[in-house]
Amino acid sequence: MRHTLRFATATAILSAGLSMTAHAEELVVGAFGGSFAENVKACHIAAFEKATGATVALKLGNSSQFAASIRATAGKPDMDIVYIDNSLAAQTHGEKLNETIDRKKLTNAGDVIASAWGKDDSYVVAMVSATALVYNPKLVKAPPTSWLDLADPAYAGKYAIGDISGTSGLHFLLALNKIKGGTLDNVDPGIEAMKPIAKGSAVLYTQADQLLSLFERQEIALAPWYPDRAGVAIDKGLSLAVAYPKEGAVGILPAVIIPKGTAKSELAHKFLDQILSADGQACFSERAYIGAVNTKVKLSDKLQKIVPNGETLEKAWFIDPEVIAKNTANWTRRWQREVAR
Amino acid sequence: MIAPRHGLMLIAPLALVLAGFFLVPVLMMLPTSFAEYVPGAGLAKGVWTLENYTRIVTDDYYREVIWRTLGLGLFVTLACLVMGYPLAYLIARGPERWRVPLILLVIFPMMLNLVVRSFGWIALLANRGLVNNLLIDLGLISAPLKLMFNLTGLMIGLTHIYLPFMVLMLVAAIRNVPRDVESAAATLGSSRLHVFTSVTLPLSAPGILAGSILVFVLTISALVTPRMLGGPTYKVMATLIYDEFMQLLDWPSGSALSFALTFMAIGVIWLSSRLTKRWAGMA
Repeated sequence: MRHTLRFATATAILSAGLSMTAHAEELVVGAFGGSFAENVKACHIAAFEKATGATVALKLGNSSQFAASIRATAGKPDMDIVYIDNSLAAQTHGEKLNETIDRKKLTNAGDVIASAWGKDDSYVVAMVSATALVYNPKLVKAPPTSWLDLADPAYAGKYAIGDISGTSGLHFLLALNKIKGGTLDNVDPGIEAMKPIAKGSAVLYTQADQLLSLFERQEIALAPWYPDRAGVAIDKGLSLAVAYPKEGAVGILPAVIIPKGTAKSELAHKFLDQILSADGQACFSERAYIGAVNTKVKLSDKLQKIVPNGETLEKAWFIDPEVIAKNTANWTRRWQREVAR
Repeated sequence: MIAPRHGLMLIAPLALVLAGFFLVPVLMMLPTSFAEYVPGAGLAKGVWTLENYTRIVTDDYYREVIWRTLGLGLFVTLACLVMGYPLAYLIARGPERWRVPLILLVIFPMMLNLVVRSFGWIALLANRGLVNNLLIDLGLISAPLKLMFNLTGLMIGLTHIYLPFMVLMLVAAIRNVPRDVESAAATLGSSRLHVFTSVTLPLSAPGILAGSILVFVLTISALVTPRMLGGPTYKVMATLIYDEFMQLLDWPSGSALSFALTFMAIGVIWLSSRLTKRWAGMA
């Protein structure tokens, strides 16, 4: 009798434990750190958890770290859905590591602009930003108008450019290359033009927010940077403004992928649906100063000054992510040897 | 004397941990280092190449980084030795009541996280950092000195971080030098300096070598401090390997560089253990 009782209790405890884990399903989401993660929590996670009853665990990192991790765990990913730069989404797709997104499972798919969908629906772009010029209006009287302004002696020693390991460094190199007559197959003119600019740069920044203290201490007056970061910094009281160069900004398209092999594909699609929803997109746009891909979202006046839209969006150069994925290693090696040496 | 059978049992736990968590993963990396990386598509299947290794030797950028890494290891080791020996001597031979406070002072910095310490150096050494601001305010310099993203910055940061290791090794070695040998030399008419150079220093040689090997190997494999104080322009092997793996996703090239670094470290240890044997034989 006592044995049966013990057995029954054990079974009850065990099954209670099991059913509890079954109830609260957990979705692991890979996202960029800092304010990005805060905005993901506020705009995407909160509504998703409320709607589905599932919980979300965030894993923080940058795009190439996520790509490395997805490759290392190929087919058995430790993340169910990941925010990642579109060039690295193209890279993981090239390695056949992305699950095809099923648009039928997304109620908001119809509201998303057509160009947001990646090749074979292997990823979807979730927001629109750019590499543009950011300056301190207290130090710079006439706003900069061209990428070439960085080579202007007036700014000597008062600017910083990004290292090629960051998006802005790569984008500035390619923009400069295009102005100097280069192509994506031949970056010689860009590398040549970059050498003196890199030499004169206060630092080659590797973390986007490194620029905050440089701008704050007025060590620099101008930098190729991101309008979204600048917008948040302006909100915090920094004297900054965004200028879109006449040659066009270079587009940045943070995307979302579902790594192949996740057991929670259904739930991941529901999360993606929340990311693409008008509410989720509008919320993220307002908080992060970033453009939306949902056509129902209208940008406020405050945002229109900073976020690429209208003419600045039309002029922006959106580089084929596959070309970037294929060439980043070579461009980086040349940069290391010829520019940063 | 411990019997070999018991000796094996004593090292078994550590050997198992090392085999499982170090040796096996390292060996798993070996095939990767011979693979070919196709940007945009990943590791090519069924292709074997030696290129990842030959490139290390033929590419003058890689060669420059390797020499820089070895040079940095050598300089940091020498700096730690020159600064650490007098301190270790004081701790070992100085007044008894100074010993504990001095050892605590040596150990204290090790209780702080590496990132925090490196970040502290950034605050001190940056263009508008404390050091430069002070020098400019005093009117000693007009433009900020370049103290970061170069050899100076890495030397300062790494010497600070690895000095405790050297000092602790040296204290043990100097304390092991029998005092009566020194006294014997003194009674035979040696000056204090002569006692030190001909008795204390040679007898503490094993400690000097052990400390130097430790600091050298730690320096050439350091990642965090070189990343923070060396930046994107002043790369050493560890930061280069990190970039190949995490940024360029070129795992084959990163693996080959890792093996090159490992062999360099093993080579240095082998060479210095031979040196120790010779030196010890002479002493």
